[in-house]
Amino acid sequence: MSGRSRSLTVNGRPCSLEEAPGDERLLDTLRWRLGLRGTKEGCRSGECGACTVLVDGEARLSCLTLSRELEGCSVTTVEEVGREPVGRAVQTAFAEEGALQCGYCTPGFVMALTGLLHERGSSASVEELLDDLGGNLCRCTGYVAIRRAVRRARELVP
Amino acid sequence: MTSPTRPDAAAKVHGAVEFGTDLSAPDMWWGALVLAPVPHGTIRAIDLEPARALPSVVAIGADAVARLVGGAKGDAERPPFATGEVVYPSQPVAAVAAPTLALAREAARRVKVEIEPRASVTDVEALFPDWPGPEAARSPHVAAHVRARYGDVDAELARSETVVAETYRTAGVQQVPLEPHACLAEVDGPRWKVRTSTQSPFGVREDVASILGLEEGSVEVEGTWVGGGFGGKGASLLEPYALLLAREAGRPVRLALSYREEFLLGRSTLPLVVRLETGVLAGAIVARRVRLLLDVGTSLPGRDFATGYSIGFLLGPYRTPVFEVEGYAVRTNKPPFGPHRAPIAPQAAFVAESHLVHVARSIGVDPDAFRAAHLWKEGETTPLGQRIGPFGLPAALQAARDRAAAWRAGLPAGHGVGIGLGFWSTNTGAGGEARVRLDGRELVIEQGEREIGSGSVLVGLAAVAARRTGLPHERVRVDYAGTRTAPFDSGVYGSRTVGALGRAVDEACEKLLAELARRAGVSAAVRLAVDGERIVLRAGAASRPVVELLTDEERRGGGATAAGRHFGVANEIDASRVVDGSFFAYQDFTGAAHVAEVAVDRATGAVRVVRYAAFHDIGTVLDPAGARAQVEGGVAMGLGAALTEEAVWGPDGRLANPGLLDYRLPTLGSVPPIEVVLLEGHPGAGPFGAKGIGEPPIVPVPATIAAAVRDAVGVHLTELPLSPERVARAVKALEPSGGPDADRPR
Repeated sequence: MSGRSRSLTVNGRPCSLEEAPGDERLLDTLRWRLGLRGTKEGCRSGECGACTVLVDGEARLSCLTLSRELEGCSVTTVEEVGREPVGRAVQTAFAEEGALQCGYCTPGFVMALTGLLHERGSSASVEELLDDLGGNLCRCTGYVAIRRAVRRARELVP
Repeated sequence: MTSPTRPDAAAKVHGAVEFGTDLSAPDMWWGALVLAPVPHGTIRAIDLEPARALPSVVAIGADAVARLVGGAKGDAERPPFATGEVVYPSQPVAAVAAPTLALAREAARRVKVEIEPRASVTDVEALFPDWPGPEAARSPHVAAHVRARYGDVDAELARSETVVAETYRTAGVQQVPLEPHACLAEVDGPRWKVRTSTQSPFGVREDVASILGLEEGSVEVEGTWVGGGFGGKGASLLEPYALLLAREAGRPVRLALSYREEFLLGRSTLPLVVRLETGVLAGAIVARRVRLLLDVGTSLPGRDFATGYSIGFLLGPYRTPVFEVEGYAVRTNKPPFGPHRAPIAPQAAFVAESHLVHVARSIGVDPDAFRAAHLWKEGETTPLGQRIGPFGLPAALQAARDRAAAWRAGLPAGHGVGIGLGFWSTNTGAGGEARVRLDGRELVIEQGEREIGSGSVLVGLAAVAARRTGLPHERVRVDYAGTRTAPFDSGVYGSRTVGALGRAVDEACEKLLAELARRAGVSAAVRLAVDGERIVLRAGAASRPVVELLTDEERRGGGATAAGRHFGVANEIDASRVVDGSFFAYQDFTGAAHVAEVAVDRATGAVRVVRYAAFHDIGTVLDPAGARAQVEGGVAMGLGAALTEEAVWGPDGRLANPGLLDYRLPTLGSVPPIEVVLLEGHPGAGPFGAKGIGEPPIVPVPATIAAAVRDAVGVHLTELPLSPERVARAVKALEPSGGPDADRPR
C-alpha cells in the first residue's frame, strides 16, 4: 500500500491514518482517534447494527471495517449526516415519530436507513426498507415506532 | 391529552448524548477485568507480576480493598474479587489498567491464574432430586426459604372432584441492553468519584461505599445517559473495580464490559422450577399448593427478596380460598440473581396462566370464562390477606375476551388466539425527594435520576408538574444532578419513577402554588399559566406575573423553590398466614390482559406472532405516547422471553451462549403490530392515581403466546421459551394418539 496516501475523509474533513495500526477498526478510529462518539459501540461483532456509518454513501458496520481498507474513501457519521437532505429527513422522522427511547441504537438506525435510501432512492418500498433494516437491533421500542419512522422517512424523501 | 415531543429526541438522533461507554478524560487509562478461566474452583495462586512487568500497567487483586482504601474494611460478604474460591463462571479475580485498551487486554492475559477446578452446580433439580425436605432449610445451597398458608390444603384437595398437578420450568433470561455497562472513575484525595451508566446513582453510591468500606459522603456518583437498563443497571457492577484501579493508577480509569462480558457478568433472571396442585369442586377452585425452586445463582443468603415476592405472581390474581405456598432460593454456580424488568413475573405469569388454562380444559370449561370467574375484584382480599384496591384487570380481561372473539372469527388453519393475564404492583414503597424552582419563564424540577430511555424522568416527571401547576409541558424542564448535590431518590426501577418520585414532584408543586397564593393574598385555588412570554399566577379571573411575587433574592437566585418528599405507602399482609420468610404487601393493584394471534408451523415448530393487542390498567394516563411506547417495548421484550431468549449453561458449568447470535432477541421482522389500549379509572398509588407502566407490559406475554399456541395446535407446553424444538416435539407427540394433555388441533 506504500505510495498511496494513508488518509480518508470523515464528514468532509481529511483524516490521517499514519498513526493508526493496521488492525484498527473504523469504529475505534471514529470514536477514539477523532472523538466522534455519536457512532455507538454495541456488540463489536456485526450483530447489532449500532455502529453503522456511511462509507461513500452506503451503510457499513464500522466495527467490522478496518480503517486502512478505506484509504481514499469518504465516511459520514451521525453527527454530520443531517447536513444532507436524506439524512436530515431520516433524523426528523425518528424524532417526530418518537422512534427512540434510550437512544443507543438510534444512530445506527439513522445511518442504516439513510444508506438504504441513498442506495435505493425512490424505488424502495417501505417493506423492502424494513426487511433490510432487520440487522439493526433495538431493545426498547419493540420496533413499532421505528416502523412508523421508516414510513415517514420514505414519504419525506422524494 | 397529547404528549410532548421528547426533549431528548433531537440530541439522540444526532448521537449527541453521552452514554457510559462514551465517557473519557484527557489522561485516562483503560481498565480490563481478569475473569476466572474455570466456572468453579479453589484458587491456588493469582500472580499479577507478569502484568505489572509491562511498562505503564497497574494490576490489582484480592488485597486491593485493604491496600488501597486506607485500611478500611469492605463488606466481607461482597469482596470485589474472588477470594479463596471462584464460585461462578468468569467471576473477576483481578483487574488491570493501562494507557490503551490493547495494552490493558494484553496485561489481563498475562495475569497467571491457577485454580483447581471443582464440579459446578447449575441445575437446581439435580441438587434436590426429591424436592427439598425440611432439612433443606439448613443446606448451604439454600439462600432463603419462604412458606405461607391458609386453611387445610390437603383436606380441600382430598374432597376436590378434580386435582390437577403439574411441573413447570422456565429458562434464565438476560436484559441485554444495547449499551454494555461502562463507567469512568477518578479518586481525588478523599473523594471517590465515578460517572456511570446507572438506573440508580444513589443505589450505586450505597453499594460502592459498602463494598469498599467508605463513608457514603466520600463517594460521588454521577449518572450518564443510560443506553438501556431493564433492571440490569440498578446495583453497582463495575464501579468498585474502576475506583480501585483509578486509585492505584493515580489517574481516571475507564472500565467497560465487552458485549460478551455483558452476557457473562450480567445479573438477571435465572431458571425456575414450579410444582402446582389445584383442586376444583363444582367448577370452582377450592385449594392450591404452589412450590418453587428459584435459582438465585451465587446470591448471598439473607439478601433474597425474590422468592416470597415471586410466589404471589405464581398464585396469580385469582381467588384461592385455601392455599399453601413454599419457595426455596437455591444457590448454584451462576452469577448472582438480579432484577430483570418485572423480575420473574413474566415467567411466573406463564406458569400461573398456563396452569389455569390447563385446569379449565381438564374440567371442560372455557379457560377465559374460568379466569373471569376467579379473577380478583376490588374489595376482596389476596391469599395473603391484603385488601385489593382499585383494580382494572377485570375490565381489561373483558376487553381482551371481546377482542379474542373477534379475531377467532375466520381464523386460518394453523393459527390460534390466546389470552394471558399479568398482575403487577407499582413499587412506590421506596422513597425519594425532588425540588422545584420557578422563575418568570420556566419551572425546573431538580432531581437525581438520569433518563434511562422510558421517558419516565424527562417526560413523566414533567407531566406531573405540568398537570399540577397548569403550565404547558414546554415550560417545565427536568434537571439532573449527581449524588453530591441532588435530592435523594431510590432509583429508576419497579415502575416507580412517576408513581413515587412523581409524588415528591407533585408535593413540591403543591407547596410552591400554596406559597405563591399566600404571597398574592388569595385563598382560592391557584394555577400557573403562560401570558405572552411570562408565567403568571391565576386565581379565578385574576392573574399576576410570577416575577412580581418573587423576593429580591429569588429573582437574583433563580426563582422560588419548594421541596417535596415521598415516603413508602404502608400496606400490610396478614402476618398470621406467613410461616417463614419474607412476603411483601402490594402498593397498588394493576396489570394487563393481552391477546395474541399466532401461526404455528407444525413441522418446524416455528411460532409467528401475527398480531397482538394489550389492554392495560394504568390508573391515569399522564403521557399517552410514552405509555404506549412502554407497552410496545415491553411486549416485544416479552416475546423474546416467550419464544427465543434462553441463557444456556452447559454441562461444564459455563454460559454457552454469551452473544447475540445464540441468545436471540426479537427483531424488526419478528415483532408484530401491537395495539395498545390504556384503561383509566382504577386509581393507583401515583400522582393523580397513575399506576406504573414500565414493567407491566412484559408480564403477560409468555402466557399469552403459550395460550395462543395451545389454541393453534393443541399442545400444552410447560417450559419456556416456546422454542421451535419444544413446539415441534410437542406437536409430534400429539400425532399418534393424542393423550390426556392434548386439545383437539384446529
